[in-house]
Amino acid sequence: MISFDKVSKQYISGQYALAGVSFEIAKGQMAFVTGHSGAGKSTLLKLILATEKCSSGNVVVNGTDLNHIPRREIPSFRRRIGMVFQDHQLLNDRSVADNVALPLDISGFSRRDALRRVRAALDKVGLLSKEKQFPAALSGGEQQRVGIARAVVNRPSIILADEPTGNLDPELSMETMEVFEQFKNVGVSLLIASHDISLINRMEYRTLILKGGTLIDDTGLGELS
Amino acid sequence: MSDKASSKRRHENPSNFIKLLRSHRKDALKSLTRMFFSPLSSTMTVIVIAAALLLPSLLFAFNTNITALLGEFQNNARIVLYLTRDTSDTQALQVSNNLLTSSVIDSVDFISNEEALLSFSDAAGFSQIVADFDANPLPASIVITPNLAGLAGLDQLAASLDQMPEVELVQVDSLWLRRLAAISELIGLAARVLGLIVLLSLCFIIGNTVRSHIENRRDEIKIIKLFGGTHSYIARPFLYTGLFYGLLGGLLASLLQALIFLSFRDPLNEIFSLYDSSFTLPLLAPAMLITLAFSGASIGWLAAIISAYRYVNAIIT
Ligand SMILES: Nc1ncnc2c1ncn2[C@@H]1O[C@H](COP(=O)(O)OP(=O)(O)O)[C@@H](O)[C@H]1O
Ligand SMILES: [Mg+2]
Repeated sequence: MISFDKVSKQYISGQYALAGVSFEIAKGQMAFVTGHSGAGKSTLLKLILATEKCSSGNVVVNGTDLNHIPRREIPSFRRRIGMVFQDHQLLNDRSVADNVALPLDISGFSRRDALRRVRAALDKVGLLSKEKQFPAALSGGEQQRVGIARAVVNRPSIILADEPTGNLDPELSMETMEVFEQFKNVGVSLLIASHDISLINRMEYRTLILKGGTLIDDTGLGELS
Repeated sequence: MSDKASSKRRHENPSNFIKLLRSHRKDALKSLTRMFFSPLSSTMTVIVIAAALLLPSLLFAFNTNITALLGEFQNNARIVLYLTRDTSDTQALQVSNNLLTSSVIDSVDFISNEEALLSFSDAAGFSQIVADFDANPLPASIVITPNLAGLAGLDQLAASLDQMPEVELVQVDSLWLRRLAAISELIGLAARVLGLIVLLSLCFIIGNTVRSHIENRRDEIKIIKLFGGTHSYIARPFLYTGLFYGLLGGLLASLLQALIFLSFRDPLNEIFSLYDSSFTLPLLAPAMLITLAFSGASIGWLAAIISAYRYVNAIIT
């Protein structure tokens, strides 16, 4: 599903965000990426979504070698990935329901068919009552959950989440994780970037630990805890 | 039961064509709504487009009318044959009758030298001069109304008439007709050149407007790209924006043109009637409206395609 082989990423600024990172995530596997701020978690997710290109090594996602993906194939590639962004990335002039419907709209669903799935997704994150509101009227945690609903609504084969519980209290964080687990149970691969150690500890899933762009541990919590 | 299931499947997996139609309708509505959200700038843009379209359109219309007028005068063109002095009235009448058998001649009118003198003396103030003449200095003439279109035919007919022994001089009343034709040709050329310039500036104006619409939605476009929106999905509402601007500009231009024609109609028709012409200036022709609306819309669409290609692609995620 997701395979990194000696992947390094150097930004134009010269900064190395990742250095020689190798790992694989199988179909139906859920894993965390953790590490201090600036460790390269977001960069790793961006490489998978093909919003950044690696400087060396190979990234293969859903059978697609991202070093050689033609530009015009990127949209259909991304449609099979659901991404939760650290900064939410909601459209402020669209209602919550329309925000969640975006991936379905892109895939050509009719409004009616989309609405059914949107409602189901919003129900999963506990925001069905807010479907007609606009993002500005929501709290940070609620916006984050709208972003989660949007990421899962089109039933992607891979879900990536960048600090999805950053604005959530422990209880809501656990509920969000349960939503993710439901997708894992139907064969979706999930990679969740988080620096919430206590949450990760409670979840007992595979954990990749990054430090200064290097993968220093790939099972338990190792030296970071 | 299975019927129900299959109809449900059809509902959930509509053909790509239906999907496309649906998203086109949605995008058209979306772009209209966006235009209504900034009524002032939208109106200004439409007015500028209309003004630009109006220039070549008026020239074309003007030229079309001149051409029509030209045809009208050609039908009224006369060829006058001045006969030699030794042609008798009987001979002249014989010639007239012969001429009538030609298919390119509509009617002939023989004017003997006496009749010519009479009408000359009838003309105000000339009777005394005529009385002083020893002999009638005026020649007999035959006035021919040809049944021809085009200056070339007229010239050909005049040349063949000149070959007749009874004919002293052929006068074709066509010099100013020639001038009009030349002017009309010039106007036609100017309209085409202007049309080209306007086409380019319209592409620029609409392209720029579409670009600002794209820039205003930069963040939205970024997010859509992150979720796998294709170029055509992102660009389509903007193409409709270009289309609607061009279409509205074209409609406004044809409205303005109708108003301009209306205000010129009476004075021009008066001039035409002075020239004994049955020609009247036509009001708004449906063909003109359709042409203006269609060219506006297609230029708008084209400009938007170019603009969207450049500026949507420039937004990188
Ligand atoms: N667009 C960028 N340009 C330059 N440097 C960047 C960019 N994005 C991230 N970085 C740098 O790369 C390193 C890793 O960043 P990031 O992947 O965001 O880490 P994390 O998500 O773990 O906090 C940081 O040092 C950061 O400053
Ligand atoms: Mg980050």
